[in-house]
Amino acid sequence: MSIEATAATTLPAQARAGTALRTVTRRIDWRPWTAFAALLALWFAAHHFGWVPAKYLPSPLAVVQRLIREVTAGTLLHDLHETLRRNLSGLVIGVAAGLALGALLGASSLVGRIVGPTVLAQRQTALFAWVPLLAMWFGGGDTGKITFIAVAAFQPVVIGTWRGISLVPATYRELSDVLLLNRWNYMRLVALPHALPMIFTGLHGALIYAWLATVGSELFLNISPGLGGRLNEGSQLFEIDLLFLVILLFGLIGLGFNTLAERAEGLLIRWNSR
Amino acid sequence: MNAPFHSPSPQPPATAVPALDIRHVSKAFVVDGKAVEVLADISLSVEAGSFVSIVGASGCGKSTLLRLILGLDLDYAGEISLDGRPVEGPGPERSIVFQEHRLLPWLTVEGNVGAALLHSGLDAAARRRSVAEHLELVGLEAFAKAYPAQLSGGMAQRVAIARALANRPRFLLLDEPLGALDALTRLRLQGELKRIVAHEGATAVLVTHDVDEAVFLGHRIVVLHPRPGRIAAVLEVPEEARADRSSPAFVALRDRVLELLGVSLGEGRAR
Amino acid sequence: MSLAETLDKPAFDQSTRAGTATASAARRRAGRRGPAGPTPLGTVLLGLSFPFALLVAWWWAARLGIVPEQILPAPATIYETVSSLIADGSLATHLEISTHRVLVGFGLGALFGLVFGAAAGLSPTVRAFLYPPVQAVARVNVLAWMPLLTLFMGIDEPLKYVVIGWSAAIPIILGTARGIENVSPAFRELGRVLHFNTRDTLRLVVLPGAVPSIFAGLREGLANAWQTLVLAELFASFEGLGYLMTWGRQLFQLDLVIIAMIVVALAGLAMDLGLRWLERRAQPWKRGTRDVH
Repeated sequence: MSIEATAATTLPAQARAGTALRTVTRRIDWRPWTAFAALLALWFAAHHFGWVPAKYLPSPLAVVQRLIREVTAGTLLHDLHETLRRNLSGLVIGVAAGLALGALLGASSLVGRIVGPTVLAQRQTALFAWVPLLAMWFGGGDTGKITFIAVAAFQPVVIGTWRGISLVPATYRELSDVLLLNRWNYMRLVALPHALPMIFTGLHGALIYAWLATVGSELFLNISPGLGGRLNEGSQLFEIDLLFLVILLFGLIGLGFNTLAERAEGLLIRWNSR
Repeated sequence: MNAPFHSPSPQPPATAVPALDIRHVSKAFVVDGKAVEVLADISLSVEAGSFVSIVGASGCGKSTLLRLILGLDLDYAGEISLDGRPVEGPGPERSIVFQEHRLLPWLTVEGNVGAALLHSGLDAAARRRSVAEHLELVGLEAFAKAYPAQLSGGMAQRVAIARALANRPRFLLLDEPLGALDALTRLRLQGELKRIVAHEGATAVLVTHDVDEAVFLGHRIVVLHPRPGRIAAVLEVPEEARADRSSPAFVALRDRVLELLGVSLGEGRAR
Repeated sequence: MSLAETLDKPAFDQSTRAGTATASAARRRAGRRGPAGPTPLGTVLLGLSFPFALLVAWWWAARLGIVPEQILPAPATIYETVSSLIADGSLATHLEISTHRVLVGFGLGALFGLVFGAAAGLSPTVRAFLYPPVQAVARVNVLAWMPLLTLFMGIDEPLKYVVIGWSAAIPIILGTARGIENVSPAFRELGRVLHFNTRDTLRLVVLPGAVPSIFAGLREGLANAWQTLVLAELFASFEGLGYLMTWGRQLFQLDLVIIAMIVVALAGLAMDLGLRWLERRAQPWKRGTRDVH
């Protein structure tokens, strides 16, 4: 044991009793929420006092009212369904392709060295640079959108899977040689479990980028049922409450995907270290 | 101030006050709400210029004790005083060599040694001289401009020793300084360490779990038992043992310490 | 562009090849491998073989007329278009405009990100209050804000600088804060032992230790900046490489689209390499390898 002792300081007895209560209240850290609360208050004030002209900034209440109206009329739910349907389709295709190619690249070092550099170089291309190209090849309708989403999901997954499988440490590979594992068993018992964290990182990226591509495809490609279409509608008809509502929804859903992916990764890490 | 350089650091006249006095020191940590006693009633007096080796198994609090002497932690029961004055925090008269060399990777060797002199009150020229002198002391003057990444483990630890001595501390604390090195380097550096500390005339407290090292380097050996850390015995090291690893005195003392630590010496040994 | 640079180090160091059943099987499969593994030249050739094969297939497909010109223009067409674009200077103009936007936007974002990130890294109070909102906002892509911002700001240059800067700032804030926050506690303790004051600690312990993380944030910020540039130029611009893509799509000239894509990729790569070079310059201590015993 060296000098970095695990240091919890000694506490006198009275303080030790007090910490029990304080631990409970401290667990709910109120400080981050102050910024959100402040922002909400600012929004309300800006509208109420006319700091920003009303035609540019709806009141928070107006947005909520619009939400209720849209939900009860069923229109928003339909659009949400369409958008999520495309998102999911693209995700599934992109993730499947990414897993497959990534596994191949990882398992066979030869394939990795032939095809790999191209995959890496292609990463340099900005995601949205694909939009015009894919639009020309697949049209601007559903096919084009889903293809774009699939491309967005594909990239992080292929990299994560490739890395995960190919970066098994030498110690484990030697062990599998000693145990005379054939390639299938090696993949099953050593490579894949070891690769899971990196594959999950790739999936995390896929969730985020696929959502980004979903939003983007609806804004840049043809107008069709979906949240993006409503956004265009809101901005063209200058219905800012609708505009704000859709933007908030885009953001919240993206936030939701991100949080979901992080929680899943956290669970995986805990299983792994057990 | 341009202090003239002379080899050993000045020692206070021999008085009744020991250089380092530890009196009835106890310390407990709170882990998961429970108090875990790490040190229990440690008392030790160290004369100026002597070398004390502290041996014990893991968990006997020896590193914690060093931190208390260093002044990094002031939360304990009992008293620790240097030359009669209580320890109130880190000070320039005490320095430490850690188990990992902890050389700052982005500074050269001479930069690392120089980092100990930032608040020494010396001017730039004097600092440079001190750095050069101490690098020479550990035999690494040729590597002054190298970066830690270019050094082997043994060399890096020697730089760490030079750094610890650069400010001419009166007390040198060593927390398993050679533990991270291979056995051959360790043996070589033990000899170096003994020579260097004697040359500088510092009072040294070494913490180790290598019994051979403890016997070879120390004038006295303090054996700690763990959980809670307490002194089991304090043994004088005869000069004959200190001088020669193969001497009967060395072997006898080492065996005695191992016995105190509860390590069996093999079957067929009549003990 | 050397392939060695497109491969992230150390992830694809040649020594970490996927396992095989036995070492001898590996050697048999290796074919031309030398005792120490494939030669650097071999690696480069293998890596180029795939794109080369694609290029050949493309050329043949165009030659045989299998695919209509609009879906897949012949390599010859692309070459002609590139030549004419370079000759009349329009490629250079578009490239310059796009690069300028990225640099300005990234510069603003980096400035803001470094300052704010440093504040968050150094002060737990700042961290507690502002980190979670920044992280939450970071999870919402800038694309969602674009329609709103265009409403407020129109589609002029300021809009582009703002969105590019914001997308760059986020990873820079996080990278800088993390780098400063996660300085090794062993070194902090060393600083206490050596009686460093705050200035010494910042100069000798915190900042040099944070450099890798800061640069990681800067590189990610630059990548984001390029992504956002393309986005912004597709969305709201009449010049620049993104615009070139849109224009090509409208005129059904796929060659323009492909050229613009390639130029964006190359420009982005060049800037990334530049940052990496800067990072190496900023860390002179990392150059040496263990060469002494």
